[in-house]
Amino acid sequence: MELYEYSALELQKLLKAKKCSATELTQSVFARIDTVEPKLEAYITLTKDNALKQAAKIDDKFSKGENAGALAGIPIGIKDNICTDGVLTTCGSKILYNFVPPYDATVIEKLKAAGAVFTGKLNMDEFAMGSSCENSYYKKTHNPHDILRVPGGSSGGSAAAVAAGEAVLALGSDTGGSIRQPAALCGVVGLKPTYSTVSRYGLVAFASSLDQIGSFGRTVGDAALLYDAIKGYDSLDATSAAREYFNIADKLDGNVKGLKIGIPAEYFGEGVDSEIKLMVLKAAKELENLGAQLINISLPSTDYALSAYYIIACAEASSNLARFDGVKYGYRAENYENLVDMYERSRSEGFGTEVKRRIMLGTFVLSSGYYDAYYKKAKLTQNRIAAEFTAAFKECDIILTPTSPVTAFKIGDRFDDPLAMYAADICTVPVNIAGLPAVSLPCGKLSGLPVGMQLIGSKFSEQTILNAGFAYERSCGEYGNVAKI
Amino acid sequence: MMDYEIVVGLEVHAELSTQSKIYCSCKNEFGAQVNTRCCPICTGLPGTLPTLNKKVVESAARMGFALNCSINRICKQDRKNYFYPDLPKAYQISQFDVPLCEYGFVDVLFNGSEKRIGITRIHIEEDAGKLLHGDSFSGSLVDFNRCGVPLIEIVSEPDMRSAAEAKAYLDTIKSILECLDISDCKMQEGSIRCDVNVSVRPMGSKVLGTRCEMKNVNSFNGASHAIECEAKRQIEIIENGGVIVQETRRWDDDKGMSFTMRSKEDAQDYRYFPEPDLRTIVLEEEYLKLLAASIPELPNKKRIRYMNEFGLSEFDAGLLTENLDKANFFEECTAKGLVQPKNLANWLTGDVTRSLNEKNISLNASNLTPAKIVRLVELIEKGIISNTAGKTVLEEIFATGGEPEDIVREKALSQVSDTAELEAIVKKVLLDNQKSVADYRSGKSNAAGFLVGQCMRASAGKANPQMIRELLIRLLEE
Amino acid sequence: MEKEINIRRIAKLARLHVEEDEIERFERDMGAVVSMVEKLPDFEDNRIPLDEKDAMPFREDEVKPSMERARVLQNAPKTEAGCIVVPKIVE
Repeated sequence: MELYEYSALELQKLLKAKKCSATELTQSVFARIDTVEPKLEAYITLTKDNALKQAAKIDDKFSKGENAGALAGIPIGIKDNICTDGVLTTCGSKILYNFVPPYDATVIEKLKAAGAVFTGKLNMDEFAMGSSCENSYYKKTHNPHDILRVPGGSSGGSAAAVAAGEAVLALGSDTGGSIRQPAALCGVVGLKPTYSTVSRYGLVAFASSLDQIGSFGRTVGDAALLYDAIKGYDSLDATSAAREYFNIADKLDGNVKGLKIGIPAEYFGEGVDSEIKLMVLKAAKELENLGAQLINISLPSTDYALSAYYIIACAEASSNLARFDGVKYGYRAENYENLVDMYERSRSEGFGTEVKRRIMLGTFVLSSGYYDAYYKKAKLTQNRIAAEFTAAFKECDIILTPTSPVTAFKIGDRFDDPLAMYAADICTVPVNIAGLPAVSLPCGKLSGLPVGMQLIGSKFSEQTILNAGFAYERSCGEYGNVAKI
Repeated sequence: MMDYEIVVGLEVHAELSTQSKIYCSCKNEFGAQVNTRCCPICTGLPGTLPTLNKKVVESAARMGFALNCSINRICKQDRKNYFYPDLPKAYQISQFDVPLCEYGFVDVLFNGSEKRIGITRIHIEEDAGKLLHGDSFSGSLVDFNRCGVPLIEIVSEPDMRSAAEAKAYLDTIKSILECLDISDCKMQEGSIRCDVNVSVRPMGSKVLGTRCEMKNVNSFNGASHAIECEAKRQIEIIENGGVIVQETRRWDDDKGMSFTMRSKEDAQDYRYFPEPDLRTIVLEEEYLKLLAASIPELPNKKRIRYMNEFGLSEFDAGLLTENLDKANFFEECTAKGLVQPKNLANWLTGDVTRSLNEKNISLNASNLTPAKIVRLVELIEKGIISNTAGKTVLEEIFATGGEPEDIVREKALSQVSDTAELEAIVKKVLLDNQKSVADYRSGKSNAAGFLVGQCMRASAGKANPQMIRELLIRLLEE
Repeated sequence: MEKEINIRRIAKLARLHVEEDEIERFERDMGAVVSMVEKLPDFEDNRIPLDEKDAMPFREDEVKPSMERARVLQNAPKTEAGCIVVPKIVE
């Protein structure tokens, strides 16, 4: 087995036992990148030189017996909407084609302190708007399990890289499913934490009240390990939760005896592929065999979630993306007659179609005369959806659903049909609306394409859902291997 | 010709004198080199987030208490979205429907009596940057230093009825801001600005006319001027059978006129919505009680009290309450109860202020103490020295910090007030100036003045002039 | 609920330039998404309450060093005299 194929937890043991060095590990990952990247196109920017420098420093610390950090020497990829000081950060957009942040996101500072090695910046749908990675200005990433298919989105690059061994771990962001859906399509583990548990300072905002940075790994333990390193209160983020945070990775014991698992009827309806439903229910049964109790529940407002989501997300996005105006950074049109012309040209030439569509929609729902009917209504609906989950969690501990209603579709299939694209989010969006934690983990393959199941928890219950995922993985999962390309 | 009533409402923006900016920890400082008081947050770099400065909320709440507002102890911030180069995020974080303070009032001293002006609301928001224009530049230049400087916006009810009233209101608001130490109110640095809303209506009408908003008013006198011009403009339109168009106009102080900026059709749609990057602002009851208790006697109230308690004129009371140091000094003096407050007031607002200004020092930094000025005034009131001699004593106190009595003695400044001595002088002068005596007796009362002058000369200026005059008149009348 | 969406007005608000042939497409796409709104339930009480329990901690009024001008402006498309340059604005 090559070094790049091991999980982070395994690599920690190998590094500690000096069976390999951080430099060797980094070189192994970059060799893998050299081999498969032409087919996958998961990366926008590779930072090999810096990575080797970081690895060398880690090896130095190891040799001196110093504490090198919880993730010392582990090669991690970063989604390209997370600001990295001195490293190009494009958000998959032309409008930031040359943007080099002068500061690190808080999660990057934390990972640096933990000794992580950064492999590069990963491809994504432009400004995190999309479910296929086809909305990136730079390239389309390919699914490692079938390179003619999409990896999912918007954190498509992150999911593909981890699935293919181009990174051991990766950071992504999730606003409506952007970590979980690509995790499902690429057969890896993707965790969207509880809203407010991971600092958003340095994450280029899409929808401020829904965005969260989360972790990708090939195993549940790995996803937990990365989450442990990035979670925590940040005084620079006013939405950050000031509470006690406990590490999870070392507490996974796979004991699900007595765990009540809610199966919501609304997530197993017409919109979801029947074979996927069967596979996910089979996984639920497996957990039942391990001692959990399955309970039928209902979340009647699920139907509203997609509408509420698009209104809230687009409204906030239209405001968050207004700062991209060609004045202070990023793309400025070459020819313009006056200020307004400069604004319009820079933004129209710099943004892609999907982004423009959402900005227009967001501007519309906030505009005078429409605010009450759309935005306000969506926010009230949000409260109702959240309340329903709260009530449901009185009857069960976690909720189990499919992650994606379909397996990876072919590149180009849904590109021109926004509604079809949005429908890919129906199982994931309600979770963001309610601010809950959820993890997607592999539970099988259909025609060689991965299927993911989603475990949703109540707020701050990452440990519960990860532990349930771990239980399943320990029992059934050989899905955590690097994909053969 | 109909009589018209002018209706004026004012929106005052005051920069708060906090240490750091409202949403980041950059220094809140005027006059620094361009773009050197900035960070990723106040320049709106992607990924950055705001954090609310406690002092801003505190200052705004204190102003709310000072203006008798009810405080919304649970409130929020909202985004006001529009595009302009001096607004890096393309939205301003402000407050829309739930301002921090509402429904207040302030009593403004105007024409000798107090008039109550309603305060609609006070809210907190961030300032934008500055645009620099110049023919030598290749375009307009943007300086972000001012981005994120904290502002409070104070909106009045349309309760003012003249330009003069508006000016009195502005002066009052400014004095309160300074008294509370919330803003340094330096109009020339832009730390206090105001927008003016003017409408007119026939006298007696209860219906408000269409109003126009005027921006770019850069001074309180400018506000006054703008109101007068705008009222005139509107009245002219109405008299000519026209209709007032609701619009925003730009005031040009140099030209003394305003220009259309945008009409209602062009009105900006700010698409306000709650700021998702900030959570609920909650002020605890105990904390609010502390803030309310921290409000001192406000200048406008102090002024009225001085007029009533010490019998001072509106003007003198105004001068004394202009700054807290002067007022406190004055009250320390009057507390001793030894002299007439009116005389103290005259000295403080007159010679003392003039001398301090010449020397460019503050009252507290000078050698003058309440005890010393009281003693000085006492010496004059008792007739021991003349007013003129008093000025000399004052200068000497400033110079050396000496005691008034010592100075009087050293410089032999005491005036002669002994009746016998003075009578002798008067009698001699009368003898030597028979013609003037005759003039006086034949009805030319100015002759008395001449004779007093002669007595003063004869006494080398040391005679008590009031006593001389009294003696003179008495002897002349005999 | 009004189904007509004035694409040109929205584009102006958003400072986006929309070509003639794009307008119809935008109308269609946005119309489809907007119909999703018909699915939202009606509410009797239309007020969004403020959550007192979600109180935000304030930041202490303390100064921290600003960022060096060169770094703050390092991504600016056009600079002059230490400032960012935009087309001349007549105020």
